[in-house]
Amino acid sequence: MKNLINFIIKYFSWFVFIFYVTISCMLLFDNNPYQHHVYLTSANRICSSIFSVFNNVTSYFHLHEINEDLHHRNAMLEMEVINLRNELADIKLMLPDSTFSSPAVHDYDFILAHVINNSISQPQNYITINRGSDDGITPEMGVIDHNGVVGIVNVVGSHSARIISLLNPQFRLSCKVKGHDYFGSMVWDGKDPYHAVLEELPKHVKFAKGDTIVTSGYSSVFPEGLIVGTIEEQVKDKNDNFFSLRIALSSDFTQLSTVRAIKNKRHDEIVKLSQEQASDRKEARK
Amino acid sequence: MLQFALLFIMMIIVQTICNHICIFGIAIPLVYIYFIVRLPINLSVNWVMTLAFFLGLTIDIFSNTQGMNALACTITTVLRRPIFSLYFAREDDLANPIPSIRTLGTGIYIKYLLSIVLVFNIILFFIQSFTLSNIVLTLLRIVASTILSTLLIFGIDSLDNTKREKRL
Repeated sequence: MKNLINFIIKYFSWFVFIFYVTISCMLLFDNNPYQHHVYLTSANRICSSIFSVFNNVTSYFHLHEINEDLHHRNAMLEMEVINLRNELADIKLMLPDSTFSSPAVHDYDFILAHVINNSISQPQNYITINRGSDDGITPEMGVIDHNGVVGIVNVVGSHSARIISLLNPQFRLSCKVKGHDYFGSMVWDGKDPYHAVLEELPKHVKFAKGDTIVTSGYSSVFPEGLIVGTIEEQVKDKNDNFFSLRIALSSDFTQLSTVRAIKNKRHDEIVKLSQEQASDRKEARK
Repeated sequence: MLQFALLFIMMIIVQTICNHICIFGIAIPLVYIYFIVRLPINLSVNWVMTLAFFLGLTIDIFSNTQGMNALACTITTVLRRPIFSLYFAREDDLANPIPSIRTLGTGIYIKYLLSIVLVFNIILFFIQSFTLSNIVLTLLRIVASTILSTLLIFGIDSLDNTKREKRL
């Protein structure tokens, strides 16, 4: 007994060391980002209040570029409104007695939020925003800015939330080339914050450089047709059955400021349906 | 004691600002290790490890890295004593146990500081990349980040020194 106590005292530092290393490794190899606790991410109250202070200062830095961007986008949208109005008028002429409305748009709502912390140089990047569960943010909401897709909410505090950035290899986004129905999944290759790779596209289709990549709408997170980026070049996929496209991302992750979280009004319904389907399948197996 | 508590908080704030810096896409300043450099050399290693672990964990929370900095910090701390005795064998001769330019002399202090920052960067970037698939890039990042961090730490160090001289 005495020897044991002596042994423990003698090597106490090693026990302390192993203890801390074990805790660190447990945190490090916890691969599921959706299960991180809110206190251990930047969505907690102290972090978000400090980031808000920083953001009050730094948010003025890129105002000029952001303004320019918004003007550009505004002009584009105005053009689109005019075009759509014309089209709608034409269609109404053709079908005078039908009530015309597109239900897909009304399924989604937006919550505006400011980015208070953002990283682009880590191998796995996250973004913190200043809206949380009190403002209606829930995990697994899609996040976009005025240029395109930004990420997906994963940890939510009461007044802040953490988003898995598109610049995170753990986030795969289902995308398609505008005008085609072929879809693939987009993932960041970790090289630079302006490009990502769209994988798993069929080999026989030819795509042109500069084509627009949009979300496929196959999940309830993002509506169909949100701009993600444009094709820059074709690259060979790791396995030879598919090929990949190198995408120039449309959102500038170095200058994120205001983002919108997408609230899908039918999210619960869709989740419930897929759960029912899963349980049905289980019963069928029995 | 109070001095180190202040340094702890200051390092967290400085590192949070530094997280936004990334020069040429490879050099990332990691200045918070300065806190571990400055801890008294005769402080028990258990205490140093505890402080280092919690410092690393706080940095992790602020930069969303989940245990990476905590692990690198803890391992570096264990190597601090051996590195120190490598350059300064007669520990008992120290009048002031807090390592600084004045207590150690410029040459030894620079060597000690550079070694710790280098060791810390090596550990951190290998944890970060984990596989050695792109070893050239990792080595480049280690070297660039070590140089940048050391320069920044010298900046902080000189601020600290001028303040003290004025007070005297």
